[in-house]
Amino acid sequence: MQRDRLRSWRLGDRVGLGLCWALGALFCAIAAAIVIYMLVEGLRYLRPALLVTHPTGGYGEAHSGGFLDPLLGTFLVAALAMVVALPVGIAVAVWLSEFGRPAGLARATESTIEMIAGAPSIVLALFGTIIFQSGALGLFSRTAHGVVFGRSFFAAGAMLSLVAIPLVVANTREGLQLIPAHVREASYAVGKTKAATIRRILLPAARPQMATGAILGIGRVIGDTAIIVILLGATLTFNGAGGLSGLSTLRGTGSTLTSYIYTNSPAGEGNQPGKAYAAAFVLLLMVLVLNASVDLVARRGRKHRWN
Amino acid sequence: MKFRLILGAALALALAVPTAASATTLIASGSVAAQPVLQALFNGYHKAHPGITFVYTANGGNAGVKDVQSGRSQFAGQARPPLPSDAGTTYVKGYLDGLCVLVNKQNSLHSLTISQLGDIYAGRLTDWKTFPGAHLTGTIDPYGRDANGGTYNFFSQAVLQGNPPGGNVNALSSDGLIANAVKQDKYGIGYDGLAYTRLLRPIKVAGIPCDHANVASERYPLSRYIYYVLPTGKADPQVTKFIDWARTSRAAGGIINNSGGVAVFNKKPPKHHKKRSTRR
Amino acid sequence: MAPRWTDARTGRLLGALVCAVLLTTASMLLFVLVQGWPSFAHNGLHWFGSGGSVDVQIRNIFLSGETGTHPVYTFHAWPLVWSTILITGGAVVISLVISLFVSAFIVEFAPEPIRAVLRPVIRLLAAVPSVIYGLIGVLVVVPFIGNHLISQSARASKAGIISLSGYSLLAAAVILTVMISPLMVAVFSDGMRTVPSGWVEGSLGLGVNRWRTFWKIVVRTARPAIVAGTVLAAARAIGEAVMLAMVSGSVGFSPNPGDGWLFFVEPSRPLAPTIIKNSEELSSPPMHATLFAIASVLLLSSALFSLVGWAAKQPMKKYGVRA
Repeated sequence: MQRDRLRSWRLGDRVGLGLCWALGALFCAIAAAIVIYMLVEGLRYLRPALLVTHPTGGYGEAHSGGFLDPLLGTFLVAALAMVVALPVGIAVAVWLSEFGRPAGLARATESTIEMIAGAPSIVLALFGTIIFQSGALGLFSRTAHGVVFGRSFFAAGAMLSLVAIPLVVANTREGLQLIPAHVREASYAVGKTKAATIRRILLPAARPQMATGAILGIGRVIGDTAIIVILLGATLTFNGAGGLSGLSTLRGTGSTLTSYIYTNSPAGEGNQPGKAYAAAFVLLLMVLVLNASVDLVARRGRKHRWN
Repeated sequence: MKFRLILGAALALALAVPTAASATTLIASGSVAAQPVLQALFNGYHKAHPGITFVYTANGGNAGVKDVQSGRSQFAGQARPPLPSDAGTTYVKGYLDGLCVLVNKQNSLHSLTISQLGDIYAGRLTDWKTFPGAHLTGTIDPYGRDANGGTYNFFSQAVLQGNPPGGNVNALSSDGLIANAVKQDKYGIGYDGLAYTRLLRPIKVAGIPCDHANVASERYPLSRYIYYVLPTGKADPQVTKFIDWARTSRAAGGIINNSGGVAVFNKKPPKHHKKRSTRR
Repeated sequence: MAPRWTDARTGRLLGALVCAVLLTTASMLLFVLVQGWPSFAHNGLHWFGSGGSVDVQIRNIFLSGETGTHPVYTFHAWPLVWSTILITGGAVVISLVISLFVSAFIVEFAPEPIRAVLRPVIRLLAAVPSVIYGLIGVLVVVPFIGNHLISQSARASKAGIISLSGYSLLAAAVILTVMISPLMVAVFSDGMRTVPSGWVEGSLGLGVNRWRTFWKIVVRTARPAIVAGTVLAAARAIGEAVMLAMVSGSVGFSPNPGDGWLFFVEPSRPLAPTIIKNSEELSSPPMHATLFAIASVLLLSSALFSLVGWAAKQPMKKYGVRA
C-alpha cells in the first residue's frame, strides 16, 4: 500500500497542516503557561492552615486569616443552585424529549433555554438585585427597619441556577435521546404509563448524562464572578440574618472563593495577592476534580449498551 | 418513603435550631477606599463585644449616603465632606487618610504643586520634560480612580477645582490597580491612599511629604477625613457606641494606624510605652 | 385500576413547569427592557449614535439624579457600541480561526500523549474565573504592550487626548480570545468526533490525503457544531464584564481606524464593563435607566446571535446533517 507522503500533497494542504501544528503548539504553550503560572503562584502561597481558618478583616497578610468561609460559601452556593437547577432542568428535558406537544411550545422552550445560556451574567445579576429587593421576596434576605437588603445566598443561588439550567437540560436531553425507541415501546406494551416509564426506566438509564450535566453546571456556577460580586453582599464571613440557624445563613450574606479572589487581587480593596493566588489554586483544584468526575461518570455510563 | 421521612425530619431540625447567642447585626455601606480600615475596626470591636457583628457593603461613598438616607443602612463610610444633597444625614469625622501621589522607581521627580498636578490630570501638561526633576522624557500617563468612589470626588474637588479629569487619564477601579499600573509604567503617575507608600515612593506635594505625621497634622494638602455618616436624630445607640469607640479608644487608634489610616481623635498610647525605634 | 399519573396528567404537569420557566425568562427580558425604557425613549435611535463625550454624559446623568434636578438622559453610546463590536467581533473571528485549527490538531493530528493531556487542560481553562484572566492581563499583557509595543512618538502624538499605556483594544481582544477559545475548541472537537468514521475511512480509501479528508469531510459535516460553538462563544464574549473592566482602558473613546497601527493600542470601553464600572450608581434613577438600557442591548444581542446561528444552520439541514 502506498504511504501518504507529505511531498505529494498540494501546497495548500501542506500549509493547512503546518498551521494546524503551529497553532496547536501555540495553544499548548499558552495553556501550559497559564496553568503553570497559576500552579506556581498558588503553591507559593498556599498553606493547609488557610483552608481551615476563618478570614478576619485584618490588614496585611499576617492578620487576615484564611479562607474557610469563602470555601464553605462556594459549596453552599453550588448546592443551592443545583437544588433548583437539577429538578427544573430534568423536568424541562423530560418534557422536551417525551412530550413536546404543541410543537410551537417545544420550539419556544428550546429557544428560551438557549437564550438563558447566552444571557450575560451581569444582566442576571442586575435583574436579581431588583427583584430580591422588592418586598414580596423579603423572606429571602435580611430585612431591617422595613427595608429589604436584597443580597443573600438565596438570591445568588437563585440567579446561579439560571446559569446552570441550560447545561442540565442539554445533557439530560442527550441522555434521553440515546435511549432507543424500542425500550419505551416495550415499557408501554406491558402497560406502564409514561410517568412510570420515565421514572423507573428512562431516567435511571440517562443517569450518566444527568450527572455530566450537573457537574458541568456546578463547574460553571463556582466560576462565576459577576453574580456573586453583586448579589452576595461580599462580607468576609457568614453573616446570618434572623433567628433560625440554618435559614439565617441562607438569608444572610457571605462570600465565595471567586469574590474572595476578586477582593484580594489588585482589583479589589483587600490587596493581598498571595491569598488571592492561593484561593485561585484551590478553585482550580476543585474544577480539576469536577472534570475528572465527569470523565469517570461518562466512562462508567458507556458500559451500558442497548443492542 | 422512610428516606423521605428522615430527610424531612433532618431538614426541619436544621432550620429550627435557634442561634446560640442573640447577635445584633449592624448594617453599613459606603466608601470602598475606607473598607480595609473599617473592616479591621469592625473586627476589633467584635472581639471586644462578641454579640455585635457588622455587614458592610462597599458600594461607594455616594451610594452609602443614599442608603443611610433611605434607611437601608444604619451608617455609612464616606471619603468626602458633606454636600447639600446629603440632607438628613450627619457627618462625623472618623480618621484621616492622605492621598499620596506616586511615581515609578525610574522617575526621580521630588515634588509638585497642586496646580501642576491639576494640569497633569486635566491634560494640559503632557510631557515629563516639563519637569526637569524627573530626568525623563516622554508622555505622562496619569492614572486615577473611576467615578464610582469618594476618592475620585475628593481628588476632583481638591486638585481639579471640581472639573472632571482629562480624557488622557486612565480610570482604574481600585487603589491596588493604580499602584500596580504606576509600578509597571515608568511614565506613570497616580494617587493612592497612605497604605500604598509601602510599594511606591510618594512625591512631595507643595513641598510637604506624604507621611503619617504630616497627614495627622493636616499639613499635607491632600489629607482628607473619612467620615461616618449617620441619619440625623435616628441613629441606633449600638451604632453610636461603636463610632465612639472607633473615634476615641486607644485600641481603635492602634487598629487605624496599622491599617493604613491616621488616627486623629483617639487616645494616644502612654508615653512610657513608646519605643525609641526610628520610623522606617 | 386507573393509574394516578396518567399520561395526560404528567404531560400537563411538566408542561406547566415548562411554561413557568418560559414565563420567568420572558418576564426577565420584559423587566429589563421596561426598566431601561426611559433611556431609550429620551434618546430614540441616537442612543446608538455618537455625539459628545460619553463619559461626560454618564457623569451628567448620574449627577442629575443625585442633585434632584430635572433628570438628564442624554446618552449617545456609539463609542461603547463601537468598542464592543471591535473587541467582541475581533475576539470571535480570531478565536474561530485558531479554534478550528486547534481542534483539527486535537482530533486528528496530535500524537496520543499530547491529546490525553490537552483534553482536561482545555476544560480546565474553560472554567477559570474571569478575574484570573483579568489579573494575567493587568500583570503581564498590559505592561508588555505599554512598554514594548508603543513608541514614544506614538504616545506624544496622542498626548492630552488619550493615554496609550497598554490598556488597549489589543490587550482586551487577545485575552478575550484566550478566554473563549477553550469553549470553542471543546464544542468543535465534540462535533468533529461525531462524524461517522465510515465517511472518513471511505475518503482515505479513495486516496484523498489526511488533511483534505479532514477539511472537506469532517469539518464540513461538523458545521452545525461549529456554528453552535461560535454562537456560544460570542454570547460569552459580549457579556464579559469583569475581565474587560480591568484591561480595556476606561475611557469612552472611539478607536479610530484611520490611525493605522495606533488603532490597535487605543483604549476604549465596551458595554458590559460600563455596567460594572457604574454599578455603584444604581441609586440614581436616570443612571438606573441607562444601565438597564445597556443590559437590554446586551440581552437582545445574545438573542440575536442565537437567531443568526439558527439561520446559518438552516441551509445545512438539506444535507441530512443533524443540525
